[in-house]
Amino acid sequence: MAGRLLLVCRLLMRDLRRRRTETILLLTAITAATATLTIGLTLNEIADRPYQQTRTATAGPDVIVTPQATGQGALDELASLTTGAGVTDHSGPFPIAYLTMTAGGKSAHTVVAGRDTTPASIDRPAVTDGTWVRPGGVVVERAFADALGISIGDTVTISAHRLRVIGTAVTAARATYPYAGWHYPGSVLVERGGLVWVDQSDIATLAGNQPLSYTLNLKLADPAASSTYPIGDQLTTWQAISYLNGRLYSDARIALLVGSWLLNGLALAGVAGIVAGRIIGQRRRVGLLKAVGAGPAMIAAIHLAEYLAIGLAAAATGLVTGWLAAPALIRPSAGLIGSVNAQPPALRMVVAVTVLALAIAVAATLVPVLRAAATSTVHALADAATPPRRRWWRIWLSRRLPTPLLIGMRINARRPRRARLVTVNTLITTTTLVGILMVNTQAVHFDLGYTELANPRVERGEQATLVLTVVLCVLALINAVVSAWTAVLDARQPLAVARTLGATPAQAGLGLAVAQLLPAIPGVAVGIPAGVGLVTFVSTGEVQYPPDSSLFATALGVLLAIAALTAIPAMVATRRPVVDILRSAPT
Amino acid sequence: MTGSTVLQARGLSMLYGDKHALVRAVDEVDLIVPAGQSLAVMGPSGCGKSSLLYLLGGLQRPTDGQVWLADRRIDTMSERALARLRRDNLGFVFQSFHLMDELTAVENVELAALLAGRSPGRARKRAMYLLDRVGLADRARHLPSALSGGQRQRVAIARALSNEPLVVLADEPTGNLDSAATLDVLRLFEELRTAGQTLVVVTHDPRIAAVADRVIAMRDGAFVDDNRLASTVAGTLYDGWR
Repeated sequence: MAGRLLLVCRLLMRDLRRRRTETILLLTAITAATATLTIGLTLNEIADRPYQQTRTATAGPDVIVTPQATGQGALDELASLTTGAGVTDHSGPFPIAYLTMTAGGKSAHTVVAGRDTTPASIDRPAVTDGTWVRPGGVVVERAFADALGISIGDTVTISAHRLRVIGTAVTAARATYPYAGWHYPGSVLVERGGLVWVDQSDIATLAGNQPLSYTLNLKLADPAASSTYPIGDQLTTWQAISYLNGRLYSDARIALLVGSWLLNGLALAGVAGIVAGRIIGQRRRVGLLKAVGAGPAMIAAIHLAEYLAIGLAAAATGLVTGWLAAPALIRPSAGLIGSVNAQPPALRMVVAVTVLALAIAVAATLVPVLRAAATSTVHALADAATPPRRRWWRIWLSRRLPTPLLIGMRINARRPRRARLVTVNTLITTTTLVGILMVNTQAVHFDLGYTELANPRVERGEQATLVLTVVLCVLALINAVVSAWTAVLDARQPLAVARTLGATPAQAGLGLAVAQLLPAIPGVAVGIPAGVGLVTFVSTGEVQYPPDSSLFATALGVLLAIAALTAIPAMVATRRPVVDILRSAPT
Repeated sequence: MTGSTVLQARGLSMLYGDKHALVRAVDEVDLIVPAGQSLAVMGPSGCGKSSLLYLLGGLQRPTDGQVWLADRRIDTMSERALARLRRDNLGFVFQSFHLMDELTAVENVELAALLAGRSPGRARKRAMYLLDRVGLADRARHLPSALSGGQRQRVAIARALSNEPLVVLADEPTGNLDSAATLDVLRLFEELRTAGQTLVVVTHDPRIAAVADRVIAMRDGAFVDDNRLASTVAGTLYDGWR
């Protein structure tokens, strides 16, 4: 047993070292999928975690009551609630005014809250920069300050009154910008806006003629039961605020979820392509191992061990890469405390990523490995290519085609599975590209008051799209390059024979490009409606479609990229003298 | 140096293609190889001698007939049983060496022993002994790419002997070698024959036949001659080389 184990490990290590480029490509392909999953899972984690941290750090209330009535009427309504059943503590009522703030030439709806200079027992906003409120100064909610681009020392104008920004802070008592809950007093219609705090003594001046509204923070004996607290529709629960904060990530989450399905498919197809090429190159090795007494199980074990090792390495690499990249790619809201990777990855994330990596490795390798294990020893030792299946229509058609097309068709007939992989690769690549194009086409009508400000939700959606685009480009490039090089290496001998029969190097090179382009065309043709359909299916709102010219340009771009990526190895291959190729035999 | 039958074929046939284009690679061959005999099967390219070797070694299954190795019928064995049989009882030497490029000479030689379940220490000891026997002890840590063709074939022969097989089957072992390397391999085969190792070599090199106890000529898949004296003719050629 020890001897066999040693043999498996030795062959594994030597083969990985010997085929470094392929190993790196495999590692990169699986890592791209696992890193995307890690980022997606991290996004899921951060959607909830920072709000909880903020709630703890700021003594966040369980229920916030804001009556529609204003002035004394509101105070009267709130007075009895402080001693209601289940209420253990309260802060307020605090006056609030729904105003407009202008900073640096930008205007936005603003909820202005009047607070004491001393911290309250419940809802003590955590100052992240500067100081807490004092007369003449304003503290801006951090995400709102980010969107407006203001910092400590700047001057803002609220209802024609100039105030100095003395701090930024975060709170769990209101949803972070842009969901602070701005509305006209007396109205139930809520608009998007930000939150600022001023000294209680300043708020009446700022509000001018506008009646003040009031808000009361309550702490309940059972915080989990906040949503059923019997005050009617004037209350906001901490669960509702948590949900609103989570909405910032909803687009990004959908994009990453759907995108990761596609990218996993692309990674699987890419790994399958590399493995197929690798196993073709290892046929003689398989034959030799069988000749010296390795059984089918041993052959399968030797190969699977290699790919499982790569899968495990890719899981670790993807986990670390995704975890490290997450803060740069998906910032949690500036309005909350906490960072993306403040804690080590959760066990369930490690398990999910490892399972994905191993699933891709096994799914892509199982069939070729079992085939290799079951292959005839003599056939494997001779390293003979599988003879193409003779199809009368293909013969009939190819005889009537120009030489490059004929060569292309016959190359694909020799390796039909590789041609199918090209189709799948192109299909997924085009689908994802069209999906990204669709997402970017969606117009965002986002009224933030009077000036269009950066929309954090769109920002996070764009971050997710960027992640998908980068990973897609890496995977698509790997797949195209591997597919082209495998085709070129595999077709060397038949192309050399074709050249001895009179085909020119240009015709041979073109034939190779055609071999890659022919199966790519159906992939592109199906990929466009698939991408449009996928985004339409997962979208919740009204869908806008990109212009036909953009879709056509995407299709053409994919095909041209494939042609260009094939042209380079094809040119290199066809420059080699025919005699050298025909003489070259494995040693 | 011959004894009881170790390898036997009865009515062995191997057919390729379909009824419209049937190729009889091996055509009802009967063969008995006693233990300790070295047998050379000669014939032109495509006469079926490699196919015969593969059938005798259980690498291929015959269309018809039987193959027996040490009183065990092997043509009906499962793949797993055949694999076990190959690693315990047979050694193969191929024309194109079939060494693993990523393994050193000694690692290539110990491959069969490790597959057979020997301990790494025992396998290494045996591999070093065999490499010493084929004159390559000083090349043990070299990769195949750093060895000459003759040296590679000697490593392959050492590997074939790794598990002390009942029979060594060699397929054109000098086909890819120059004259000097061929002589080295011939000397090795002669040593094996003297040591009583059962050998079946298919070749069209008469010098190989010269070191065999028995030479069989083959044509169109069938034996046309079984002449123990044929080695005399080949032996003359081999003496010339020596």
